Amino acid sequence: MNHFLTYQKRGLMLIVAAVAVGMLVIGGRLAYFMIFVTDRYAQRAQELHERERSIKAARGLIYDRNGVVIADNKPVCTISVIHNQITNPEEVIAKLSEILELPEETVRKRVEKYSSIERIRANVPKETADEIRNLGLDGVMVDEDYKRFYPFESLASKVLGFTGSDNQGIVGLEVEYDDYLQGTPGTILTLTTAHGLELPNAAENRIEPVDGNHLHTSLDVVIQQYAEQAAQKVYTAKEANRVSVIVMNPQNGEIYAMVNVPEFNLNEPYTLIPEVLNGVSQDSLTEQEISDLRNKMWRNPCINDTYEPGSAFKIVTATAALEEGVVRLTDRFFCPGYKIVEDRSIRCHKVGGHGSEDFRQGIMNSCNPVFMEIGARIGAERFLYYFDKLGLKSKTGVDLPGEAGSIMHKLENIKAVELATMSFGQSFQITPLQLMRAASAAVNGGTLVTPHFGVSIENAEGKTIKTLEYKTEADAVSAQTSQTMRELLEAVVAEGTGKRAYVAGFHIGGKTATSEKLPRRSGRYIASFLGFAPANDPQVMILVMIDEPTGIYYGGTIAAPVAGEIFENILPYLGICADYSEAELKDNKQLGETEVPSVVGKTLKEAKVIFRSCSEGELYVIGEGEIVKEQFPAAGEHVNKNSDLILYLE
Amino acid sequence: MTRDDMEQGKKLKKRRYYDYTLLFLVLTLTCFGLVMIYSVSYYNANKYYSDPTLFLRKQAIFAVAGTILMVIISKFDYRLYISRMPVIKIKPIFLLYLLCMALQLYLVLFGESTGGSQRWINLGPLGKFQPSEITKICVLLFTAYLVKLAPRRLDKFRGFLRIMLIMSPLIVLVTLENLSTGIITVVIVVAICFVASRKKGYYIFCALLFVAFIAVFIILFPYRSERIDVWRDIENHPKGYQILQGLYAIASGGLFGKGLGQGVQKLGYIPEAHNDMIFSVICEELGMVGAFAVLFLFLLLLWRIFLIAINAPDLFGSLVATGVLAHVAVQVLINVSVVTNTIPSTGIPLPFISYGGTSLLVLMIEMGMVLSISNRIEGER
Repeated sequence: MNHFLTYQKRGLMLIVAAVAVGMLVIGGRLAYFMIFVTDRYAQRAQELHERERSIKAARGLIYDRNGVVIADNKPVCTISVIHNQITNPEEVIAKLSEILELPEETVRKRVEKYSSIERIRANVPKETADEIRNLGLDGVMVDEDYKRFYPFESLASKVLGFTGSDNQGIVGLEVEYDDYLQGTPGTILTLTTAHGLELPNAAENRIEPVDGNHLHTSLDVVIQQYAEQAAQKVYTAKEANRVSVIVMNPQNGEIYAMVNVPEFNLNEPYTLIPEVLNGVSQDSLTEQEISDLRNKMWRNPCINDTYEPGSAFKIVTATAALEEGVVRLTDRFFCPGYKIVEDRSIRCHKVGGHGSEDFRQGIMNSCNPVFMEIGARIGAERFLYYFDKLGLKSKTGVDLPGEAGSIMHKLENIKAVELATMSFGQSFQITPLQLMRAASAAVNGGTLVTPHFGVSIENAEGKTIKTLEYKTEADAVSAQTSQTMRELLEAVVAEGTGKRAYVAGFHIGGKTATSEKLPRRSGRYIASFLGFAPANDPQVMILVMIDEPTGIYYGGTIAAPVAGEIFENILPYLGICADYSEAELKDNKQLGETEVPSVVGKTLKEAKVIFRSCSEGELYVIGEGEIVKEQFPAAGEHVNKNSDLILYLE
Repeated sequence: MTRDDMEQGKKLKKRRYYDYTLLFLVLTLTCFGLVMIYSVSYYNANKYYSDPTLFLRKQAIFAVAGTILMVIISKFDYRLYISRMPVIKIKPIFLLYLLCMALQLYLVLFGESTGGSQRWINLGPLGKFQPSEITKICVLLFTAYLVKLAPRRLDKFRGFLRIMLIMSPLIVLVTLENLSTGIITVVIVVAICFVASRKKGYYIFCALLFVAFIAVFIILFPYRSERIDVWRDIENHPKGYQILQGLYAIASGGLFGKGLGQGVQKLGYIPEAHNDMIFSVICEELGMVGAFAVLFLFLLLLWRIFLIAINAPDLFGSLVATGVLAHVAVQVLINVSVVTNTIPSTGIPLPFISYGGTSLLVLMIEMGMVLSISNRIEGER
């Protein structure tokens, strides 16, 4: 019944066995792929399936010294289209171009482009984005995002800087602290089909963004605003090219304010301000010209540009001379109005000359021949030594990008004429901030500080992660010399060229300067004043620079009052109390304090007499009657002499 | 022995066997194939035809028709193929041979060109028809028939050559059109001869010849030898994309897979995933466990065919079953080998599971024949 012969059975067995072996081989292959290379290949498959969507990290905020936010974020949206998900391209094109106010052609090109995702417009206000979202168009994506926002608009614009569309800093502190502020963007990894559609049920692989760290600065919005106001006022009044004000703590280098009028609006950094355009229409400019003007507008002359410091540099020369011991305060000089140096006569600013004067008077008068004389006594080599020691050879190390270095003669090129001009601040260039740094060392007891804005870095949770530290060099100037310099410079303000910076009740030291810009005889000047207060223990130093003022251009005349005005406002704000001298009190009856007299129970007439006898303020009467029932402020309180008194009658 | 006893014995002897296990295995594989086809194709069917069940429905129609055909064929005596028909006095096997020759010739001369080779005859609303699939049955039956006529001739090499010579016109025509089908037909013929012959030695010579044949073919047709380059450097060759994507799918499966329907590679990454590459998606979704289960099912199926072959009532039946076994085995092995990049790529579907109506129908017919052979086995219970 079975016709299959044995050898035939065996043959078939062989075939089945061969098949079984074949199965084993491919089974082994499968195991190889599914167990041994699964990581490598599955990883690649995963990468192939994953589409990365980035989640922006919120940029860190910038605070002033009192915790006021000066660089903030505000929500904006990005509108994109996903080619594969668009069902009605014509409607999408029409609606998007209408709402976003973009040319239809631009939108069409992006909608019809075959790509997984195409951005139509970034930085769309939230309201506009909501409008688009509510249309419910297929394939249109609205992503929420942040945009940098500067609540004070133009405040310290050239210091703060701004950011570009990709959240990177472009100028100023935003660049310097970019690494801290930026944060790390997160990503959403989603699985998609080969055509870029996201799989609905796939688990999202999400890497959370790390928000940027906050920067705490030494800037003080109030001081900055005072300084900006004062700068703006003189900028307008003197029709100047530019007015810069730096307010710094000479003890530790913290910069409270850095003003460069005209400032620009940080929320619209690409819009050229009228001052920069100078009456020219932006449309008539080429791309290159616009770009150049923008760079000019963003430039921070306090650190990016150098100038001849002029007479303010006499602080350095005097310091060097005192350190070197080549001059005593009582040394006498004679100023005929010029000084012959080698073959030429170098004039003093006072044509008739200051006549006979001692060193102290020489500084107060800002007398050039005196300084030429002591410059010569110091000698070129030692002069350069102090130049370097007071930090003028190197950059200040301020935490802003693009700091300029000084331009100084080489030692072998310094002849008598160069030395003479250097000693009163000409023929070389430094940045305004370098001058402040040197002056700080001269008056703060001799420590060379690093001017800076950044104080500390705080993470997104509000924990301080880093306190920024800056280099200081003690003993750049001896304490004795520093003490002398403070006294000398106070005299300059109290009795000398800087008297217009004088503020009653405060000890202010300072030095005026009027630098003629190059080329000479072009009638272009920089009027400046460097002052500090209190003169016996400097807590705040101000440098005012008025670039190309029209009319009177003397630093002592136009820059010193600006500094005085700022001092007057910020010294009380900084908690430095007025300390009036006898003479001041006598000169001005409104100054000083008094004790409020008790007038309760007295008649109105009696009360008036008592009040007049001890106060300069106004008397307000509330109610009718003859007898004083109550008074404000209460009796015995100490108030300013010009305070008012309110009486409540029966 | 009494008459009653005799009668009872006869009855016992005449109780016919029917291999329900085989039937069950075939239906299981086919149904599993339908499930996988739906899982693999719904995305592309929806994307390109807006009809997720399109491929499923088409295949299901063939599956139902194939099952009916299989059952009908299994109820006919397979020996009818080699007995003269009542009216025209011709054996059906000769008719089939002539039909296949005609169809293959037609293809070579007028075939509809797709992708460089002609494989289809367009039957309009019935879809495309692949004559080479029918040719496989023809080659299988005709070889078995020739061997059955004079089995002892195969003891000599000349006998084997004679059979190869008789079959060669059809094989050459098929190979011209499609190398993979050519290989399969050759394997079927050789397998039948190998089993039938007493001397196995010269098959080693034949195996060498076969290798030479492939080598010559590769040299003559550079289009094919490019596949060798792809095979060697699957990760970097630009044409290796499909296979590489299949490998990614297999590797992503791991031990237990991502779950039925959860695969990602079928979502446009593997082109034509429902055809020859379906096994890679099975691996991705069901993991190594699922893939081995499928291979085990095939092994069981082959084992059942083997049992039928060695128990067949006559040599012709044994040889037909052998041919079917060889056919299914070689397709499974080649398909999975291609998917795992064990051999250079060639388009052979996975039996019962890959999408393709003609292929499924032909396999069902063959299974019907094997079942018909099993039905002739007289049980001794």
